[in-house]
Amino acid sequence: MSEKKRENIAGLNNGFGPESPLDYAFKVADAAAPPVAKRGRKINIGAASKIAPGEKKIFDNGEISFGVFNIGGKFHAIKNVCPHAGAPLCMGHIQTTHRPGAVGEFDPALEGRVLRCPWHGWEFDIVTGKGLYDAHGRVATYPCEVDENGNVVVTL
Amino acid sequence: MSENSKHLDLPLIDCDIHPHATSEMPLMPHIAEDFRQAVAQGQASQPGQGYANPFGVQRRDATIDGPQDVIDNLLERYGIVYGVLQPPGLNISLAANIDVGCAVARAWNEWQIEHWLNYDARFLGSICVNMNDPVQAAKEIRRAAQHPQMVQVIVTGESTMLYGHRHYFPIYEACTEMGIAFALHPGNEGARTPSTPIGAPSSYFEWHSTIPLTYMAQLASLVCEGVFEKFPTLKAVFVEAGFGWLPHLMWRMDKNFKALRSTTPWLKHLPSEYILEHVRVTTQPMEEPRKPEHLLQIFDMIEAHRTVCFASDYPHWDFDDPRRVFPPRMEKALKERIFYSNAAELYDLPSLEEFVGTQPVASALVEATK
Repeated sequence: MSEKKRENIAGLNNGFGPESPLDYAFKVADAAAPPVAKRGRKINIGAASKIAPGEKKIFDNGEISFGVFNIGGKFHAIKNVCPHAGAPLCMGHIQTTHRPGAVGEFDPALEGRVLRCPWHGWEFDIVTGKGLYDAHGRVATYPCEVDENGNVVVTL
Repeated sequence: MSENSKHLDLPLIDCDIHPHATSEMPLMPHIAEDFRQAVAQGQASQPGQGYANPFGVQRRDATIDGPQDVIDNLLERYGIVYGVLQPPGLNISLAANIDVGCAVARAWNEWQIEHWLNYDARFLGSICVNMNDPVQAAKEIRRAAQHPQMVQVIVTGESTMLYGHRHYFPIYEACTEMGIAFALHPGNEGARTPSTPIGAPSSYFEWHSTIPLTYMAQLASLVCEGVFEKFPTLKAVFVEAGFGWLPHLMWRMDKNFKALRSTTPWLKHLPSEYILEHVRVTTQPMEEPRKPEHLLQIFDMIEAHRTVCFASDYPHWDFDDPRRVFPPRMEKALKERIFYSNAAELYDLPSLEEFVGTQPVASALVEATK
């Protein structure tokens, strides 16, 4: 048996790098870093009390469209355009996904944070906008806060 | 090397040669004594798929009574320096009686060793196993793979369950432990259930043309069930069912992965990446598009420099002649990979450089490649 074969059997040459694109995608989602507030156009989308946990409100002024989602009492805004084929992403279902793991294991992840595009089913983390199917996919997210009057304000 | 091979400028590895038992090389003496009566009674008989080639499966001009015939008529003639045997025992998992099936599988392995592997080092063996008894099959793999010329396990495309099923995991574990590949060979699609998901084709023509349906299902199963995650060094060889369908399957699976990966969360990479890393296909019966450049485009789509290995299917009716079957405009580097290096890496054989350096017969080949 050759040295190469031995290394193969030891699992040293499995052909892939140490980190898979999905590991990276979930690392970004797990970090859950909210988008940084910057100076920009502010849009008041109305009373926070009208968007219950697990619910959403879609804003569309003909120029820009985004969805505001209430996840466990915190508000997150995400662009309403899927980077894949331009679908109205925020019309999709909010779900939970499964973290990459061992064969036969189902490890629920990002509970209630996963937006599944209504057209082709691609998954995005609502909090970070990270696509959960490869390393690069991402949709824009916007800083979101509740002002002193109880309204949700999104900064574009 | 004979005069006839001089037109070939590269050594070849042939991944699909079909030996069979003859009165000079019978199988029965290799069957354990306890099972000889059962085999004589027909207890190892396998259902046919019902589609005999009406014009015969054997090439009319080819004889293959023994290893010397293959050496004279195939290896020497085409410059084939290694030939992988695909014995009839590859169908043994279709036998109803599990224990008799296991005994016959083992007999085919002993038969190959005695009559072929020990006869000439150019012959490489395929280990026959009964997939319906994975524990026994794994044991047989660990035993038979100790012969240095045994390079893979061979099974038929038709199976009780799709090959990705975890029922078969002990077999893949044994393959990776012994450092050998897991290969599929068609021929009995339709033996258990109709060979298409809808129903039975009406002719050998129709049956033979749709064999890739089975292969697509088996490959999707191996990928989706996580076999290549669980056994990261396993190589699967898809023999004799073409590859024109492979780009489609890869693209379709990659697209679906983006939406559906959370249902198979063990998949960390695109399905196409698992396929390109773990799956090898053989050339015969070669896809022959009307425009030869389309074949080269398919080669490009499936990264043929890593995935495609030459096979002749000698002595069957749809044999491919390596001199004639490739487009004339194929680059030499790709030819080297398909003719030799892909199979050499798959089966842990000397590299092209090592081979050319150690074989006196190959010096002419080196000259020719310059």
